[in-house]
Amino acid sequence: MPPKEESSKVTRRSTRSSASVTVENSEPTESHTPTIDDLTFGEESITIDAVLSNFPGRRSQIFDFIRLMGPLDCPTLPIMIYGGASTGKTSVVLQVLRHLNRPFVYSSCRTCYNPRILFESILNQLLLHRKCSLNGYSSAKRCDKPSDFVNLLREALSSVIKTLESTSGTSRSDKPDEKPMGKMVYLILDNVDLIRDWDKGTIILQFLFSLYTVLKMPQLGIILISGLPPDVYYSNMGYTDPIPLYFPEYSEEDLRQIFLRNQPNRKLYSAFLDVVLKPFCRVTRRVEELSTTFSLLFRKFCEPLDDLGISPNEDMKRRLYSHLKPLIAHCLNEIFRVSSHPHDGETRGERRQKASYSSENREELEILDFHMSTSAKFLLLSAFLASRNPATLDASMFDSTGGMDNRKRKRKASEKSMEKKEIAEQEAVMKGPGSFPLERLLAIFQCIASVGDSSFGEEDEEEENTTGYDKENNNLMSDILLQVSSLCDANFLIKSGSCPLEGSIRYRSMVSEDLAQKVAKSLSFPLSKYLYRR
Amino acid sequence: MGKEIPAEKSLNLIRGRLCHPSFIFRPLSASSDSNYSKLKFIVSTSIMEGCNNSILLLGPRGSGKAAVLDLVVGDLLEQFPDSVSVIRLNGLLHSDDNCAFKEIARQLCMEHHLLFSKMASFDENSHFIIAMLRECGLAHKTIIFVLDEFDMFAQGKQRLLYSLLDAMQSVTSQAVVIGISSRLDADQLLEKRVRSRFSHRKILFLPPSRDELDGLLEHLLSLPADSSFPSGYVSRFNDKIKNITSDRRFKDILKTFFNAHSTVNSFLKFIFCAVSLMNLESGLLSLENFKAALSSMQRQPKLEAVRDCSVLELYLLVCMRRLEVKEQSSYNFISVMKEYKAIHDSFQTSDYYAQNVCIRGFEHLRERQVICYAENRGQSQTGEYRPMKLLISASELHQGMRSHACCPAILLKLLDH
Repeated sequence: MPPKEESSKVTRRSTRSSASVTVENSEPTESHTPTIDDLTFGEESITIDAVLSNFPGRRSQIFDFIRLMGPLDCPTLPIMIYGGASTGKTSVVLQVLRHLNRPFVYSSCRTCYNPRILFESILNQLLLHRKCSLNGYSSAKRCDKPSDFVNLLREALSSVIKTLESTSGTSRSDKPDEKPMGKMVYLILDNVDLIRDWDKGTIILQFLFSLYTVLKMPQLGIILISGLPPDVYYSNMGYTDPIPLYFPEYSEEDLRQIFLRNQPNRKLYSAFLDVVLKPFCRVTRRVEELSTTFSLLFRKFCEPLDDLGISPNEDMKRRLYSHLKPLIAHCLNEIFRVSSHPHDGETRGERRQKASYSSENREELEILDFHMSTSAKFLLLSAFLASRNPATLDASMFDSTGGMDNRKRKRKASEKSMEKKEIAEQEAVMKGPGSFPLERLLAIFQCIASVGDSSFGEEDEEEENTTGYDKENNNLMSDILLQVSSLCDANFLIKSGSCPLEGSIRYRSMVSEDLAQKVAKSLSFPLSKYLYRR
Repeated sequence: MGKEIPAEKSLNLIRGRLCHPSFIFRPLSASSDSNYSKLKFIVSTSIMEGCNNSILLLGPRGSGKAAVLDLVVGDLLEQFPDSVSVIRLNGLLHSDDNCAFKEIARQLCMEHHLLFSKMASFDENSHFIIAMLRECGLAHKTIIFVLDEFDMFAQGKQRLLYSLLDAMQSVTSQAVVIGISSRLDADQLLEKRVRSRFSHRKILFLPPSRDELDGLLEHLLSLPADSSFPSGYVSRFNDKIKNITSDRRFKDILKTFFNAHSTVNSFLKFIFCAVSLMNLESGLLSLENFKAALSSMQRQPKLEAVRDCSVLELYLLVCMRRLEVKEQSSYNFISVMKEYKAIHDSFQTSDYYAQNVCIRGFEHLRERQVICYAENRGQSQTGEYRPMKLLISASELHQGMRSHACCPAILLKLLDH
């Protein structure tokens, strides 16, 4: 039977619009056809000292990695590099390969999110194929099964190695002092831990770990980079695990070195770090989380200074510290929050900062920082109340007197009932917010909205639509149902399972108490009166 | 490039040996009752007598089953150059029947210089394979089928196994099916009809003895006295190796190693790590290399994870542990927060942070796989209410906290209560 080659061209359906528009086939810019040299890092090669100074605190890991890679053309067993996020694994690997000037193929399992894209990306790089408009942005070969991948990889690797062997024989006269490329190719797979969440991820992982033994090509070196330690990959089938290399989190000293790099005024910044680094390191040691907070704080730190180039003496340092100190405590609690207000001296931002200066205790800002319509706010509150209060108390809670009766039990609670109360409290915490049917939500909403109206008359600055609301209440039922669905989309309400007897949908409120308090404050609604506390 | 320094050359040589399985297993297979000889005897008899056969090679992962098989196949291809062809399948790749038949057809086509069509259907492929088997049988050519990860083929309907073994029952075909598996009960997985056609020959690969491994070590690490190395260097290197291997401390290192690892592959990894640490200036191995390699193989990942935690995350872990000690069978984020607040109120610690900061601390712990959600089905709840559990034991937590760089003393006190 004659072989039928799989065409790599993508056949496009011609739609009416594309047929009518004549494609302007402008001369394609001289696209760079990749050569074997493109498999190396490409830029200027750097010395080992440059690599070491670029990565403070990673000295031993860099040397370990170079030793595991070995000298030129040295066969190597698969290596797995693992460590937490933003510990520098990918950058160290790539920079070391730039220093050693060896050809490699890099693929990340974050951008290649299923096996087919991963395999095709690796093959494209090895076959020196670049996706461009000429070939319709398609890959060189179509491959989505591991069996095809092994065959195609073997072919591609043999051709690459043959090219490498022929170029290594001839001396390279144009760059005499560059390191030779050698005859080995390295395959780097990044974010291997994401494969676990893929469809059939365990089979793919098993396949990747045994790729070296299946291929039996000593000219290939495999480097896997993973965010999780190797013991999460253990499965029933077992595999020969790769050689591990661990990147621990940075210590405080390393963090200081990292933050001092690229600073225009090192003395000033190091004085800043003296006061800031220790307390923030108690919360997190990750570089990406600390850097956003530090940039903000440094701006505040330098506010009293007129000249940012001076190196501070002791007196000035003390002054700057006292200026910064009240803000540190507040920022520690806001460390993971990226504020939506730019702090470039905008008046609104400054006003908020001044407000936080005055409140010395750690109070959350009481202002709701997104806009919701009044009916949506009332719906939110009624959903919150419906989730928190048991249904049996509705009648007493929402009667005409409004609010719970302050009928305090004067009897001292016995020990047994205290225990029962504690257990009930624990169970309530474990179960989370309760679910309620739609009718209960609407009933509570109607009660609250009428109560809220009566308190509107007193404060009449804040809202615009105060007086007309009561009259239009009866006509707004369809509008309210629309609000319910938009609250569901915003994840303030979620649909939980439906009651098997009645078949009506039940909802659950996902709003935290802080947010509910904020919303209630913005409506001047006495929320605590309606909240049932055990 | 100029001359390589001898250290690099020797490193290349030794590492090349370590990555090349047949170099390693040839001395291990030298004796006459080794698995190599048994396998070779079975396969060569069936080739010479022109009969069908099926064998299973069983043993833990990394004990050299595939390597020994490659040695045997290599020798047989030299011995009977025209009457043997090999088809290799792997259970990880070809467990799907379509894939498997396509791969067999492709390899048969490559062997016999036929054109292979990727569009051939399953039926066409299977007819082709049966026809080829018959033809090869008539031409007195034996086909050896190597099925790696045999237990993966035994999942599902076992169509491939059945058709292969069934085709072997006919008189004209000459085939040997060799299955490799790390499951010692791989033959129990076969269906009744497949098992009846399978001759229950099994070769078990056991871990090698200490003498064999000592001999292997010497075989690996001694440099050949050929002219590509400077002469003094070779003798110095080999003497240093002899010194190391006869040292009592080295024997202790090996004993500690073999307490945990018994297969040949892990031993090779250990030697690889040690050799990579070789001092490139002197070009000689030393005892420290082996010690460092041993410590790198004895990692404790949960300990490392705890040591990487920040102080806030340690607080959260201690709170969870205290809740467990109080026999609260399930707890979630809110209850851990309550415990955290209780600790702060009673001890007035300086590390009291707001809820959103603690939630991020939780997320970091979850990413590092130190804690996880207890059940998967509670998807409808937000993360704060889902029950969680610790993935490390109390002793690991203790050890990690004690070796932590800046763990506050109060935490250790709280953990012990």
